[in-house]
Amino acid sequence: MAIIPIDLLEAGMILKADVRDRSGRLILPAEAELAEKQIKIFRTWGVTEADILHGPDGTDIEATRENSEIDPVVLAAAEQAVDEIFRLNDVQHPVIKELMRVCLARRLTIVAQ
Amino acid sequence: MSHNKPVTLDELLSDVSSVPSLPLLYSRLDETINHPRSSIADIAKVLSEDQGLAARILKLANSPLFGYFSKIDTVTQAVTIIGIQQVRDLALAISVIGVFKGLPKDLVTMECFWRHSIGAALAARVLATSQREANLERFFVAGILHDIGRLLLFMRLPDLCREMIETARNSNQCLHELERQRLGYDHADVGGALLRRWKLPTRVTEPVEYHHRCNHAGQFPRESAILHCADLLAHALELGGSGEERVPPLIPGSWERLTVSPFQLPQIVAQIDNQLEEISKALGGAVT
Repeated sequence: MAIIPIDLLEAGMILKADVRDRSGRLILPAEAELAEKQIKIFRTWGVTEADILHGPDGTDIEATRENSEIDPVVLAAAEQAVDEIFRLNDVQHPVIKELMRVCLARRLTIVAQ
Repeated sequence: MSHNKPVTLDELLSDVSSVPSLPLLYSRLDETINHPRSSIADIAKVLSEDQGLAARILKLANSPLFGYFSKIDTVTQAVTIIGIQQVRDLALAISVIGVFKGLPKDLVTMECFWRHSIGAALAARVLATSQREANLERFFVAGILHDIGRLLLFMRLPDLCREMIETARNSNQCLHELERQRLGYDHADVGGALLRRWKLPTRVTEPVEYHHRCNHAGQFPRESAILHCADLLAHALELGGSGEERVPPLIPGSWERLTVSPFQLPQIVAQIDNQLEEISKALGGAVT
């Protein structure tokens, strides 16, 4: 599977690799099953992501549709604007990809207000 | 100023009448701080001579940047708690904002320009915090100063700049590359040279000079990389602007110098957004 940011972790997911805090201390070993309590502990120790093997009951985690409730016209306009300001960048770079996601979400909250 | 014969960097900086100088107070402050027999009271006394500067330092000291929340009420206290070097860097940031005046308004408004600078300064500070760097204010001040060369270019070569901004808007080139093509140097070089003229320390001048080519920085590659990423963030979040309208391309290897996971970005962005208004207000009086 993939590296999943903490906000998208769910109880029942299985870890592919050890989860460690910033100083390298082991918090949860590979192959453990996540529970709500552990996700809370991750947050406490400043963990921002986890390498996940598969979702609950062995399902593959699908790309989450986080913007599915938003008016498609507004969404398309926001996406276009973000694409435009990032035009000079490599959109496949993991940092740029995440930054674009953050910018899109930020733009949509500003529009919603 | 024909396009065939571009102005050299030396020519640009040698015209004394149009190159601004740092306020005298800052050099006095610097001198006092460097003097081995100065006490904190001496430093506070120099700061208090400029009421506006003293008030802004107090506002910043009580802002969320430091987290003392309205408990610092004298300049002496501010110097003691925040630290002498930090106060010096803050004083520099505040002094510089007041220095540039009389720019062609159609190129960039001062408000917009400083908003971009403050955005980059906060981003640099937040990124540096996540790296557990010491002396955070040097990142803040480098962020404030990073595009200062562009102000000088706008002042001295307004027509060329107007044309370059227009060209950049309609092409796939970013403004600093265009500057380099036309002039042989870019605004980062101008900024670095100007700051060196002001005799600022290398820890500030080098990151500014190399914020668009941070892999070439000799002494402070980490600081330059942090500043580059901070500039990128300020552009991505569309905080003000300094002529460039798109996010400049990420230099390969610069983000990797920082040990920040991309998934920390949401928190970093939230921190910048939270602090921006208050810091702009604290520095606000100077931005007119």
